[in-house]
Parts: sequence; C-alpha cells; structure tokens
Amino acid sequence: MSRFGAKKDRNLPGAEFTWDKTDPSGEADTAPTPLFPKYAVPRARALSDREQVQVNLYRTLRERFHDGPYYAILGVSSGPNGYTGSAKANFDPFNGMPSYSGKYQKKKRLIPRVQGRPYVMKFFPRELWSTIQPNFKPDAGLDGWMPQTFQSGIKRGFEEDEEDEESLKRRRQADEEEGGEMEANVLEEDEDQEEEIVDDDFEDDDDEMGGDYNAEQYFDGGDDEYGDDGFGDGGGGGGDEDTY
Amino acid sequence: MASQYAAELCMLLVEDNFGELFGRIFSTLHRYERLTLQRLVGFTRLSETRVRAALVAMIQHHLVYHYTPLDEAVTYYSANMQAAYHLARSGKILEHVEDRLGEYAATVMSTIMYLGHAQVSHLDTLPELRSKASKANGVHEEEGNLEGGENGANRTNGEHAPQHSALLHPTLKALAGHGYIVRVREAHFQSYADNVLDIERVIRAGDSVQNMKGKKLEEYVTEKTVDMLRERLDGDLTRGLVINGVPRGVKRRHANGVSEDLENKRARFDYDDAGGEDEENEWFDDEIPMESSLTVRVNYEKLDVALRNRRFLELAERDAPPETAQVYDYLLRRIEYQTTKCRDSAEIPREGEEGEQYSVSIPLNALSQDIDPYLDLAGSLGPTDTSPANARLGKRPFDHTINGDHDHDHDHDHDHDHDHDNTNTNTNNRAYEIDQHLSLLAHAPFNLSSKRLNGGIITWTVEFRHLARKLRHLELERIIESRYGDVALRVIRVLQAKGKLDEKRLQEISLLPFKDLRQVLASMQTGGFVDLQEVPRDAQRQPSRTIFLWYYDPDRIRDSILQDTYKGMSRCLQRLRFERGRLKEFLEKTERSDVKGNEERYLSEGELERLREWRAKESLLIGEVARLDDMVAVMRDY
Repeated sequence: MSRFGAKKDRNLPGAEFTWDKTDPSGEADTAPTPLFPKYAVPRARALSDREQVQVNLYRTLRERFHDGPYYAILGVSSGPNGYTGSAKANFDPFNGMPSYSGKYQKKKRLIPRVQGRPYVMKFFPRELWSTIQPNFKPDAGLDGWMPQTFQSGIKRGFEEDEEDEESLKRRRQADEEEGGEMEANVLEEDEDQEEEIVDDDFEDDDDEMGGDYNAEQYFDGGDDEYGDDGFGDGGGGGGDEDTY
Repeated sequence: MASQYAAELCMLLVEDNFGELFGRIFSTLHRYERLTLQRLVGFTRLSETRVRAALVAMIQHHLVYHYTPLDEAVTYYSANMQAAYHLARSGKILEHVEDRLGEYAATVMSTIMYLGHAQVSHLDTLPELRSKASKANGVHEEEGNLEGGENGANRTNGEHAPQHSALLHPTLKALAGHGYIVRVREAHFQSYADNVLDIERVIRAGDSVQNMKGKKLEEYVTEKTVDMLRERLDGDLTRGLVINGVPRGVKRRHANGVSEDLENKRARFDYDDAGGEDEENEWFDDEIPMESSLTVRVNYEKLDVALRNRRFLELAERDAPPETAQVYDYLLRRIEYQTTKCRDSAEIPREGEEGEQYSVSIPLNALSQDIDPYLDLAGSLGPTDTSPANARLGKRPFDHTINGDHDHDHDHDHDHDHDHDNTNTNTNNRAYEIDQHLSLLAHAPFNLSSKRLNGGIITWTVEFRHLARKLRHLELERIIESRYGDVALRVIRVLQAKGKLDEKRLQEISLLPFKDLRQVLASMQTGGFVDLQEVPRDAQRQPSRTIFLWYYDPDRIRDSILQDTYKGMSRCLQRLRFERGRLKEFLEKTERSDVKGNEERYLSEGELERLREWRAKESLLIGEVARLDDMVAVMRDY
C-alpha cells in the first residue's frame, strides 16, 4: 500500500521525526510483547517513626469515629426500592441467628444516632431541626429561630404553614407523575416511619397469619424493642443499644 | 478539586472514617451537585429518616454545605470536598499539635475533630478530657525523659500539678493562640459561592449602591464583597492571646536561673511540662476560662501553614548544620504565628505569574531573645575574629589551643573575647551569629530566608511563593528522575532553564548523544512530561518545513501529577478495604467487645501473629496515603 506515492526504499514523510525505532533504517519491531515481562515491583520504604506516630493517631481517631454514634453502614439493597433501614430486610440468614457470643459482637448501625450530644441549632437548616430534637415544635420560640421567621414572615404573612403543605403536596404529585420509583420511595418512607412508631418488625406477618405462632419471634421472645437496631440480632436483649 | 479521582478519593475517605452510608450520600451530592432533601432521598434510594440523620451528622462534621435562600423555603445541600479531603490529614495534624503543644493538646484536638465542631461547654463535660489528662501528663514525662534525660524537673511538676480539668482551658487557649482552632461562624456552613452570591445580593439591595451604575457599581460590589466575606468567615480567636507576635505562654523568661533553663531546654515551647513551678502558676493565675458558648473547630488553613513550615525546615535540615536548622525553626515559628493562610489567592498562581510574597519580617533581636541561650551557635560557624594582620597575609588564624604559644597576639584577642563573653550579656555577639546562620540559609540553591533592612533594623523574612515553587519543582524532579532516570532529569532542567528548544539545540546544550536524548524524550512524551510544539514555516505545514520545539510546562504536569496522586491515594484506600474484606471474619472477632483490649487473653498465638501482620499492613497503606498527601499538599495547598 503506497501512501503519498512513496516508494519502497524511501522513508515515509516525517519518518525522520519518529522515535519508535532508534535507528531509522531498521525494521519496525512488530514482535508481540512478552506476556508477563519481568519488572521490578517498587517497594514502599518502611515508615519512619514520625510517620508511624501519624498513622497511629489517624487510626485512633478513625477508631473513635467507628465506635461513635455516627458510623453507619449501608445495609443491603432490596431490589428497586433501594436501601432499607428495616431490620428484616437486612437479616443475614447464615450468620444472623442469635447466638450467645453475639452479645459481644460489635453492633452495626443503619441510622446514625443523632441524639445524645448537644448541637448548636443555628448551624443547621430548619428542616433538620425536628431530626435533631424529636420534640421540637416549629412554633416554640428558640434562640436563633425568631429572626429567621421575621425575615420570611415579612414577605409571606401568616399562610406559611399552609403553603408549605401545599408545596409538599405538589411535590409529591410531581413525583408521582415522574415515575413509579419516587412513589415507591415515598411509600418506603412511610413504612419505615410506621415501623419506628410501632416498634415491631414483624407486624405484617402478624396481620396476615392471624395466629399467635411466629417462627421468627420464637427466639427473641418479642423483646427486640427497636426496629432500627442493626441486624435485629440483639438477642442478648434490647438494652444493648446504649452500651456502645 | 472536583475531578473524578478527587471525588472518588473524598468518597473513600468519608467511607473509611464514617461508614458507607455517609459515603453514599456524599458521592450522590457530589455527582448531582446541589440537591434538596427530597431529591437526595430519591437519588440515594435511602429512607428519609436515614438521610436526615446522616445529614445532621455530616453537617456537624462540615462534610456537607447547606444553603436556604431567603425567598424560598427550600434548603439545598452540597458536598464539601475540602473538608472530606482533610480527613486524610488528621494524623499529620495531630502529630504536629502533639509535637508543638504536648500530648494533652493533641487529645483535645482529636476530640474536637471527633465532634466536628464543639462548644466549649460541651468539651468541659467530656470525661475523656478529664481522666486522660493525668495519664497524658504521665506519658509526657516518660517521653521527655526518653528524649533527653534532662527533664528531671518534670517529674515533680507532674506530681503536684493543679487539677487536671483546669488544663482544658489553658490548652484551648494555647490552641486558639496558635490559630489551630477557630470560632465557627454560620457562613462556614455555606459554600464559598453561596456566600459570595448572598453578600452580593445584600450589597445590591443596600442604599449606598442605588445611585451607582455600570462599571463603578461592579467595582464597588466586588470590593465590598471581599470585605464582607472576610468579616463573615472570620473566626479568628488569636486576638488578645498573642502578645508581640507570640502566643501567650509560649515565651519563657530567660532572666530566670540558669539551672532551670537548662532543665527545660527541650521543653521550651511545651505547655504541660513547663519546668518551673512559679511559671506554671503564673500561667494559670491570669487565666480567664474560654467563653463557654463559644463553638470551635479545627482551622485547617492555619495548620497547612504549619505543615508547610515543617517542609521548609526539612529542606533546611537536608544540607545545613543542625544548629542552623534550629535557628531557622525559631524564625519559622515566629512567622507562623502571624501567617493565617498559605496564600491569598484560591488557586496556586501559574508558573511565572506569581509575584513575590514575603512573610512578615521578624526583627533579629526578637529572634535572639527566642533562641535558646545554650544552643551552640558558634561551633558550626567558621572563625570570625580574623585579625587584620592575618587576613592581609592570607593566613588562616591558628587555633590557640593547639599552637597558641606561637601567636601571642591572637591568643590575647581570644582571651579578651572570652572575658567579654562571660561577663557581659553577649546579645550582640549572638545576634551576629544568628545572622550568620540565617545568611547561610539565604544562599542558593534554596534561598530559604532573605534579609531586609527595615529602618536600620535587620529583619529576616521568608519568601513563600518562591519556596513553594521550589518545593513543587523538587517534587516533580524527583518523580521524573525515579521514572526516567537522570538523563531525563538533565533534559528537564535544560528545558526549564531555556524554555522551548528544538532537538538540535537541546542536544547541544544537554551534551547528550542523539540516541539517548530521543529515547528519553519519547518516553517522557508518552508519560506526558514534555511535549512538542509545531511551528510551520509555510502554509503547507509540511513536516520537513516545520520546526518542532520541545517544551516542559510545569503547571500542566503539576495538574496531571495531582490527579495521579489522588488516584494513587484512592487505590491505596480501596486496597485497604479489600484487604479488610478478606479478613472480615477475623477482624470482627478482634473487635468484639470482650476481645478488644485483652487480645493476649482471648486470641491464640497464630491469631495474634495475624493481627500484628494486619496492623503492619494497614499502617503501611495508611502511611502511603499520608505520603501521597504530602505530595498533594505541595502541588495544591502550599
């Protein structure tokens, strides 16, 4: 195949600038490269004392984070509905059966525990305040809260609450229109919240079966109080949540 | 910062520290930028209760910015990449604080990190800051003794030290005085862009701009924005804690007894093993506790300054005598107290476009007061008192201890000098010696310091931009040398000094055989370190009538190396996760609440061995991340 009308013995234009072959007259090396060429694996040098200290400090801090109230795992994905926080879905059928040594096992958290330490409310957006303080009432005057209401109150008067609800409704409608996925999520939320209130993982089963025999509750005797407790393997008793 | 690998790295760091839930929310926020709560719930496919709780925690740790516009009732969330990245630096920061202010300060700092931001009143109630205090002091004593064996005074000090809970406030003050912690402001929770837009809106709505138009208005707004932004973000706590450019309590009295000074020679800048009893009391007496309503957090900007100074110091230690390095250390500390951040612009200025940025200048006499009077300054300097006669003859002055008899003149001079030293305060002499040490550092190749005459007073400064560039170049050169060999390094240096060169000129200057040069240039071009520019001599762009110029663009290479480094770090973390996954069952066993802490009792010999192996492996990987972080700091932060 002749390119640019080049003859056999002549080099292609620009050949003097190639660098693939070190001597311009030689043949191009078309042999396949060896499959597993030997090469020197670079090795990291050992840590110096100072680095070791740094690593240890990092590790200690990370350990503290892991033991702290915020560390949370994702849990398993249950199909198209996304990740759930419900203990039932996250139950591990192989290792999840309650056993005696299970009480020493590190508990895994699905929801970060927010309560149990003071927060500076003004640093958080208002919509999260009810999460920080479950008994928080939007009407109660709190520090750092009043000025904001005044500012927004000037503009919108007193129908704020109504409008909020309206916009929420509208958003939900929009979501429903968007597709089934969002709808499913909304339902999912409701389910979760319900679970939290009712404090019973196996409520559905009860309803369906109607009988008083419940195989899944046979071992924990129904004293597993918290629906959001890890894998629901708190066989040692529901009181363990506060110990870590 | 928002590249693919950076995002991956930040997500992994969040995940490594706080778990998968946070990691998922963080990466979703980064991928979709700003999201409302509802949208976030939708995209992460998590239940709302979980997202809400996680958001609270992440805001607490500054991992998420939030913003609620005044005229809308919706809050937007976005990811804070910077904060996530700083998780990787926590070990380094804590080590620095421990080194500078002692173990207890590091514990306090670590607790603040653990809490994200914390109110002083909350810190007061924490048991670990109380109970640990006594232990911390004890450990420190040991350390002190190990270090020099001359800290005898500390033992007594540790025994009847005041109530340890009282240590918290002075330590907090020390941290604040050094600028390592700052007050949390509401503006810290909004992203930079949101803050700027918000301020601009406020300014434009204000009265003073109503009669301005066009360009003038724009200028006014930009100027005011900068001012207001500084005001809103300002969390400086050093006010009132810094006296004459030095945080309170750092300075030790030199008029004190000689013996005492000897004892805490090493502990000069430490707080909790501060030698003499009376000093300690003095320090506690005038103590007003920190405001309990104050909320503090870690000031990463300032700590970057401190870590950068440490890099400079390492550079100095490399080829200067230890005394000189120590003098430099004192200078850098002085400068650190008055430097709030590494540079004024948000981005690292392009190569060649950076101006000179000098640090604050430190008067020489202030330095000579700081510097330990027992540091042997003269030992590493050449003889200074050459008598004129000797100098004229070109002779070296003889050391009078060896053949002092021959040189009466000289001997006499020396003796006189000694008397002078012993009787008088030798401040002038010392100042001169310090000056000499710093002059040594001011020389090429690094120009670590520079001298200024300020109204007749000698002051010393450090030129930060130049040095930061130097660090960057050294780092790049190190990489190039290790990848392509010393020939490549020479080529790069030639290109850097001369600019763009064609192959022939390059060969002439670098004095390399044609073959070697081509090979090395080719392999470097594949790696992206050098590149080729075509300059056609006619409109046809024929290769034969085109000039090809090789060039080396440090900015571009810096960027690509930075991305590679992010990638390397995230690979390390992924590897770590994988390795942990392999040992999952075993590690869960070691983390059991009964096993943890008394591993020797419950684990078998083989298991213990395995645990040790795992620890070593883990620390190597984390250490590697820390090393790569050093590179990132050089390329991005300094």
